[in-house]
Amino acid sequence: MSPLVVCPACDLVHRNTAAPARGATLCARCRAPLQRASGAHIDTAIALAACALVLLLLSNAYPLVEMQVNGNSRDTTLIGAALGLYAQSYYSLAALVFLTTVVAPLLQIAALLYVLIPLRRGRRAAGQEAVFRLLMKVRPWSFMEVFMLGALAALVRLSNFAHIVTGVSLWACVLLMLCLSELTTVSSPEQIWRWIERSRA
Amino acid sequence: MSGPVTGRSLGLLLCLQCRATVRAANTPHSRCPRCRAPLHERKPYSLLLTTLLLIGAAVLYVPANVLPVMDTRTFVDDEYDTIMSGVLVLLQSGSWPIAVLVFVASIVVPLLKILALGVLLYTAWRGSPLGRLQRSGLFRMVEFIGRWSMLDVYAISLLATLVQVQSFASIIVGWGAWAFGAVVVLTMLAARTFDERLLWDSPSHD
Repeated sequence: MSPLVVCPACDLVHRNTAAPARGATLCARCRAPLQRASGAHIDTAIALAACALVLLLLSNAYPLVEMQVNGNSRDTTLIGAALGLYAQSYYSLAALVFLTTVVAPLLQIAALLYVLIPLRRGRRAAGQEAVFRLLMKVRPWSFMEVFMLGALAALVRLSNFAHIVTGVSLWACVLLMLCLSELTTVSSPEQIWRWIERSRA
Repeated sequence: MSGPVTGRSLGLLLCLQCRATVRAANTPHSRCPRCRAPLHERKPYSLLLTTLLLIGAAVLYVPANVLPVMDTRTFVDDEYDTIMSGVLVLLQSGSWPIAVLVFVASIVVPLLKILALGVLLYTAWRGSPLGRLQRSGLFRMVEFIGRWSMLDVYAISLLATLVQVQSFASIIVGWGAWAFGAVVVLTMLAARTFDERLLWDSPSHD
């Protein structure tokens, strides 16, 4: 452990103390989080990531919602939002939606599992550093919670003129959103490196 | 020793990816010894890049709000909706919590973000010592709320996928939605290129 810790938001140097078990310590000058919680066990992160992976697959395998109107019905899965835009030739917007609702969550989960599973057995994954940096790059682009509220807004609009049946995926998506947010909290960058350094010792 | 003890004054660099504290070397392209991410004392070209991205976002904010985000075609008519008219439709149909949510996420949040980043850029460039704590908090808020403006883009893309019933209606996505997505991406990138430590770098007069 380095004897000093530097605030990422204002560059003020603090003496390093043990990180708290919950929450975070704040910078004395700018109040930004300085040291984030160190309580989580590596198994918690692996379990959450495995759970999120199953939920993500479910969300894409089964319909999110089904709309019934005049005897016709249509449904969509999580990936359907991106496909709808693609079908209407908005390729860049489709790519953005695909990236933020499917690719980023998937990469986030896969990168964590790739690094953490070998660590648990005291080994290091090949290219661990590069995978960690990839994780840090994709994480801010994982928008599941925004997607859920967007889906809610779409359903409210549709319910005025069509019958809406919610599918199994809608619940999978809600759980996925909760899982991913908890996963991000337990696997802060500092925590990932604490796990890596502990396995090295 | 006068003034606050900073990483810069002690020759310490912080890796923004893995949060390792590293002694600064005199080599131009140094990397973090732990995670191999490039290390910089401050994010390179921060003010310039943020300014350019912010100008782009501010320009696209206009078509995002003026152009239709979707076009609902039925047998009898062809109805173009902008973000604002979509909010009004939600209000009239009685779902005011969703109307408020869409209004805040799509209209208020991007505007606030653009204005806030503009103020932060200007004051960081001037090296203003006033209200640093508040500006620092403002920046963290901008970072946090950034993604929420995508809400209506998701809603529209789901509507476009679902409403394609030949005998009834179809929803065609408009260029407003594209501009909207672009505003979200540009403002998020602008927040990422902005180095908040610049707000604290100039000497304070107290």
